Amino acid sequence: MSEQYSSSKTDSRTPGARTELLGGPTTANTHSSALLEVRDLRINFHLQHSIVPAVQGVTFSVNPGQTVGIIGESGSGKSVTARAIMGLLPKKTAEVLGSVRFGGKELIGLSDREMRQHRGRDIVLVFQDPMRSLNPTMRIGTQIAEALHSHQEISRADAHSRVIDLLKMVRIPSAEQRSREYPHQLSGGMRQRVMIAMALSCGPKVLIADEPTTALDVTTQAQIMELLRELQRELDMAVVLISHDMGLAAMYTDEVAVMYAGRVVEQAMTTRLFKHVRMPYTRALLDSIPRLEHPSLEPLSVVRGRPPDLSALPPGCPFSPRCHFAQAKCEEPPVLETTAEGDRFACWFPL
Amino acid sequence: MAVSKVLPPALAQRVGKFRQTANWRQSLDVWVPAGILVLLVFACFFGPFIASVPGPNAGSLLDARLPLFSPGHILGTDAIGNDLLSRALYGGRISIEVGLGSMLIGFVVGGSLGILGGYRGGILDIVIMRLLDMFLAFPSIILAFVVATFLGANEINVIFAISFFTVPAFARLARATTLQLRERGFVVATRLLGSRERDVLMRHVVPNVIPSLMTYGLLTVAIAMFIEAALSFLGLGIPAPQPSWGSTIASGQQYLSDAPWIVLVPSVFLFIAVASLNSLGNALRTRIESH
Amino acid sequence: MIFPIVGRRFLQFLPVVIGVTFITFLLLNLLPGDTAVAILGTSATPASIALLRRQLGLNEPLLVRYWHWLTHALSGNLGHSLITQQPVTTVLAQRVPVTLELLILAFLIALVFAVPVAVLAARQPKGIIDRLSATAAMFGLAIPNFVLGLVLILLFAQHFHFFPATGFSALGSGLGPNLRSLLLPALTISFALFAAYSRMLRADMMQQLAQEEYVITARAKGVGEPRILIRHVLRNSLFSLITIVGVNFGTLIGATVIVESIFALPGIGSLLVSAVYNRDVTVTQGVVVILAVVTVTVNLVTDLLYLVLDPRVRYGSL
Repeated sequence: MSEQYSSSKTDSRTPGARTELLGGPTTANTHSSALLEVRDLRINFHLQHSIVPAVQGVTFSVNPGQTVGIIGESGSGKSVTARAIMGLLPKKTAEVLGSVRFGGKELIGLSDREMRQHRGRDIVLVFQDPMRSLNPTMRIGTQIAEALHSHQEISRADAHSRVIDLLKMVRIPSAEQRSREYPHQLSGGMRQRVMIAMALSCGPKVLIADEPTTALDVTTQAQIMELLRELQRELDMAVVLISHDMGLAAMYTDEVAVMYAGRVVEQAMTTRLFKHVRMPYTRALLDSIPRLEHPSLEPLSVVRGRPPDLSALPPGCPFSPRCHFAQAKCEEPPVLETTAEGDRFACWFPL
Repeated sequence: MAVSKVLPPALAQRVGKFRQTANWRQSLDVWVPAGILVLLVFACFFGPFIASVPGPNAGSLLDARLPLFSPGHILGTDAIGNDLLSRALYGGRISIEVGLGSMLIGFVVGGSLGILGGYRGGILDIVIMRLLDMFLAFPSIILAFVVATFLGANEINVIFAISFFTVPAFARLARATTLQLRERGFVVATRLLGSRERDVLMRHVVPNVIPSLMTYGLLTVAIAMFIEAALSFLGLGIPAPQPSWGSTIASGQQYLSDAPWIVLVPSVFLFIAVASLNSLGNALRTRIESH
Repeated sequence: MIFPIVGRRFLQFLPVVIGVTFITFLLLNLLPGDTAVAILGTSATPASIALLRRQLGLNEPLLVRYWHWLTHALSGNLGHSLITQQPVTTVLAQRVPVTLELLILAFLIALVFAVPVAVLAARQPKGIIDRLSATAAMFGLAIPNFVLGLVLILLFAQHFHFFPATGFSALGSGLGPNLRSLLLPALTISFALFAAYSRMLRADMMQQLAQEEYVITARAKGVGEPRILIRHVLRNSLFSLITIVGVNFGTLIGATVIVESIFALPGIGSLLVSAVYNRDVTVTQGVVVILAVVTVTVNLVTDLLYLVLDPRVRYGSL
């Protein structure tokens, strides 16, 4: 991280960043004792001829045992947010501003060496595609043991027995034999279990799951999500669930932040959000979930239009070009309003 | 870096470097070697007419082994008194002709075979590829040996001999590129839309294979020049009175400690030609791959 | 699971070897020049030439002669040298080990330097080591081996007397003299190999670092960059290097022809040159056949090595 971009206190606002949308760091969702606290996170990619604001002000916090969902279409900035928290963005092109605190300690601006202390031990990441995310030429046992060796002095024998325990913990049958196999010998669901075992190896406090079940079929998806929930309770972890799937969010999260074009457009406790959606984009995402009670003749609704080009956003509400309810007023950037309960939404004409 | 995985594709393509570099500096890697090559070709083919240079075989034994910067012989003379600059320039003509000639044969013949085999597939492809495998199984220089010695050594036969290497090499590349292309959306789409096969080949496949063949062509010219020099060095290439870089190097071999410039002068010419061709080829290839 | 693949590869290997020997046969027999004339000399009478032609079976159709040659070759009989009358197999048995030793040595030298240089270059792209190795590679690929060989002789043999300039000392007469006689020629060959391998390995590692998701997983685990580079990336890049080594083997043999002539090593390269000069058809044919078979075998072996080393191929998922 080059010095001039690393400081969280940098006041430089990126071109086009409309801070009124965020309303700055609000007090609404700030838990004083939060384990992971993300405040006004902004990420700019410096391209050859332009600067693309990929994330503009994400604020949320997670407590042990709690799950926060970050929901949005691809390109909404949710994966970039996950990688920024982990300090995994390329330092040459990505400028990360704002604040990410783990147990009160600021992570943004840490050197790679310092960050590595936390990565894989305190905060871990589970990726979308477990085939591509595992090294194809290394035995899975070795790959899990590698995480152990990176963070503690541990003998090979101890590491091995710990690997077997971990594989059993994620309910992989005949763990001893599986640990000697290569990723392509396992099914997709098994691979994702391996990824989870790897993530849990050092007893993490925060688990970020980036579309953990998107590459899996529906049955396996449910199994993996249940496994994650059980393990979360057992280990009292804070979980950040990143997904495009509102249904998943409804079932497995305590709080949801909906992202669009790099910004949070609606954020609320899950139970309240599904009772009263305010932002039309959230509504559109909800309507795109296939439902059993829907008559099958009715066509499945999808969010109209395409995700926006981040380098050429409309001047006002970024969702307005695709919004059924857009009016003249939407040419002005909406203010992120806070309700009495502490929920937030950015829309001139809430539903 | 890993931006491509994080950003939507349209964005990732535009991710570049933090610092902005002026355009002309970024294209130096193309213009410097290209300029050197143009200069070299110009010097070899027109140099002898512009500046008066003695004939490549016009030396006398009285002037044998004159060092660099001798009056009248700026790059010195060889073991029998021939002007080395003159031999380097005339030898360069042969080197360039052989390099281009065998590259063109490989480009046209090998390229067509590869595209055809890759596009059609099936038996035709298997037969073509197995045949070419056999030619590749002969080490190129040895094949050139056999052809050149039994057909007789002259420029045309040397080109022919080296083509035994260039044809299969081009064919392999053309086939691999065609195979990738065949599965790409736009080609599949035109095929499914019922376009005539010849039209698909000529309009969609060939124009997209040619750029990678062209950059590979530059590397091939360099390799062909190498083989020509090696053959001539061994006395199996261009026959004696004609000047060639390889044969001039061979003639200086025994005077290496007394008159190293006899080996040095043609070697430096060969080095400049091959290094420029390689760098230009690599620079262009990086450009094509990043598109 | 591995055996069907080996069998299939072997079935592809046979026709190539037979095709190669047939092309050799065609080239040597269809090209101008009469073997009988070559043996007896141009002053021989037409009658004696005709007699020899009959004795050598040269009047038979080409396919019949190839069949004779092939069945003889398969039973280990490659004929006799037209010049020295020695059996070709005996000559080859003397020459092959020298070339083999030279190539193995050159290959080892190239790898020993190329792998660490590539890792250090990939660790810091555009850093000092990367730039230096790029320059070295440019020279390695643009200096012809016969010039490099001459320069090495001039420097280390004639100037400093570190090594013998030319000649060969067999392994039987001690490892020291043997290595000393092979080191300069091996260095000559290995420079270009080093250039090619180091750049290729670096490019492959850079590509994996940039594109492979498992690299990010390793970073997310908290694994340090040096370990990622060596345990994950280098390991996978070596698989690509193995295929390159196989494909390049043909050029490697071409290089031995030149280098053995310069350093006067009694290998098959110099044997081929002298056989071609002397129009010794049987020996030429023997050498070309041996080289073709070796090239094809090396390609087969690298394919198989790939199967053994790369678990993805080993379990047939690719």
